[in-house]
Amino acid sequence: MNSPEIFERLFFQALRIRLVEERIIELYPSDAIQSPVHLSIGQEAVAVGACEPLTNQDLVFCTYRSHAFYLAKGGNLNEMFAELYGKITGCARGKAGSMHLAAPEVGLMGASAVVASTIPHAVGAALAAKRLNKKQVIVGVFGDGATEEGVYHESLNFAALHRLPVVFLCENNGLAVHSYQKARQSFEISGHAQSYGLPVHHITEGYDFVKVAGVMSEIIDHVRTDQAPAFVEIQTCRYKEHVGPGEDFSCGYRNIEEFQEWKQHDPLEQFPKLVETFRPMILKEIDAAIDFAERSPFPSIEELLCDVV
Amino acid sequence: MSCNTAMTLPVNCDDDVVSNGADTEVQVISYRDALHRTMHEALRLHDSVIIIGQGVDDHKGIFGSTIGLAQEFGLDRVMDTPLAEEGMTGVAIGAALNGLYPIQTHIRADFSLLAMNQIINLAAKYKYMFGGRFEVPMLIRMIVGRSWGQGAQHSQSLQSLFAHIPGLKVVMPSSSQTILDTYPSVIAEYRGPVISFEHRLMYDLNFQIDPLLTKQKRDPFGSYVVRQGNDITIVATSIMVLEAMRVADHLAKVAGIQCEVIDLHCVSNPDWNLMMQSVEKTGRLVVADTSWREYGVCAEVCRVVAERNPGCLRKPVVSLAMQPAPCPTAKSLEDMFYPDLRQFANAIATLVHGNEEHGIQLPDTQSMADVYKRFKGPF
Repeated sequence: MNSPEIFERLFFQALRIRLVEERIIELYPSDAIQSPVHLSIGQEAVAVGACEPLTNQDLVFCTYRSHAFYLAKGGNLNEMFAELYGKITGCARGKAGSMHLAAPEVGLMGASAVVASTIPHAVGAALAAKRLNKKQVIVGVFGDGATEEGVYHESLNFAALHRLPVVFLCENNGLAVHSYQKARQSFEISGHAQSYGLPVHHITEGYDFVKVAGVMSEIIDHVRTDQAPAFVEIQTCRYKEHVGPGEDFSCGYRNIEEFQEWKQHDPLEQFPKLVETFRPMILKEIDAAIDFAERSPFPSIEELLCDVV
Repeated sequence: MSCNTAMTLPVNCDDDVVSNGADTEVQVISYRDALHRTMHEALRLHDSVIIIGQGVDDHKGIFGSTIGLAQEFGLDRVMDTPLAEEGMTGVAIGAALNGLYPIQTHIRADFSLLAMNQIINLAAKYKYMFGGRFEVPMLIRMIVGRSWGQGAQHSQSLQSLFAHIPGLKVVMPSSSQTILDTYPSVIAEYRGPVISFEHRLMYDLNFQIDPLLTKQKRDPFGSYVVRQGNDITIVATSIMVLEAMRVADHLAKVAGIQCEVIDLHCVSNPDWNLMMQSVEKTGRLVVADTSWREYGVCAEVCRVVAERNPGCLRKPVVSLAMQPAPCPTAKSLEDMFYPDLRQFANAIATLVHGNEEHGIQLPDTQSMADVYKRFKGPF
């Protein structure tokens, strides 16, 4: 897992996600994107590392902060920008926006704006995978705030009880909107998950996509072979405000030193030469995707009541 | 649109089969056995079907509707669940997204309130919100309780909450025939979430079913004329269809009043044309629903008549529904909480006669009491 080739490949993917989101920030004031964006900047390594060992048949269920997982799982960039622009060529025909990206052709099974609500979907998909002998691994992605929801605990219990092939992936950025984890939780996430009898992994270096990919590879092999669930908590850092394109360190609710410390480890910050190597190619792709989105038509009246039932 | 007269009246018949005078035989089957038959057939015909719910595999088997199925089809297809309504509804959605057809049960509709997030925010929206790229085929069976002290949290009939939400189909089987017509076709052919409100007090009732009617393959999401008449239209749901049929029989006998009874059945997408044709013919309308009047089926029926052709009404609409309170447990209060047969008959007689001095003999039986007096609880 430590070859330079793998590092560069994952670096490229993480950088691509970051540059896509930085372009969204640039575009946002133009109102071309009229959709609440929850940016993954700072958290790219989690998605890139986690999706590395997955096949297109393996399924991922996500949250509203899912640009990174959409792209890491192989979602189409043109369709993503078209979706953000509200165009008919978007991945959901302009009915999803930023918060509900999906790419079922590569196993990205949707994202919900209601915290924790897709966790049981991952469990149910794993139930179907096991019963239909599909050999799939299902990954349910959620944040630290989701672990406070009842349905999270219901999901862990059921998956452990029936030994279902699902990975619970907690992207712990320590914040729920503007509230620190310690202000919200009387329990410790990994320790608590362990009480359901799940094998639990905790990655503190969530900026290290190679490490994340290595641990996830072991977890996914285990889940696929043993047809049993696993839990992984990955520490990460949200660089931007909860929703929107800006930073909000000046608002006083979070500690900028933590953020600066984290950036010291962020490969996308630490390897500027590699960034410059890849940047032109990625920007060209982004330009093309934006051009595609801009040239695409808006959905018209026949779409309004289509696919309701 | 269906204008067929279905035989929905419960029968006090111990025989399994009676002749309808034609080559085919009219069978008698209880609501419970009709449910059991559809559950059994769903598991037998479709490998993708699983039944999940609290107690689906136990000795009571959802009031008999799933008894023996776990033994026959295995515990991985007839799954007991933890007490986790939201989680299990989410599990059903995820299973549906990955190739299964889940049938989920709530032994009381009241418990589904714990799953509202999954039903309304997810199941109802998964298709539309992702531009038609996903389907969530599943059936959620919810049982409405009534009588024997079910009280405030075991008696709610929540159809209007769900029918309000685009993306959900909501049906209310009023007889064995409607179960046998609806469930197999929904499970085999429809690719979205369906919520069915079954009525606990009908489980013990025997109904005639007509194979000729079954062969006609009625629309599982339709509304049905179950009795034809020219004097007044009764639009009813669930067990109120039975009440309507009983009151119609009484009034035909004592006063020659001919009621047309429409079983609304699919309350999320009723056949409004069918209803309007009837109301335009009779000029009089009574709505009889199992829930509250306000913002419910009664209100919706009135909205549609008011929008489409209010001039066709010769008299104001009368709504029969539960009193605007939580359901009390004391028998004396509960009897007043639900509309009874005398109120029903009086409303119709008043509308048809033109005033309250109609002089028409009202039924002396309590509301459905002689039909479902066998229900001795406890649940």
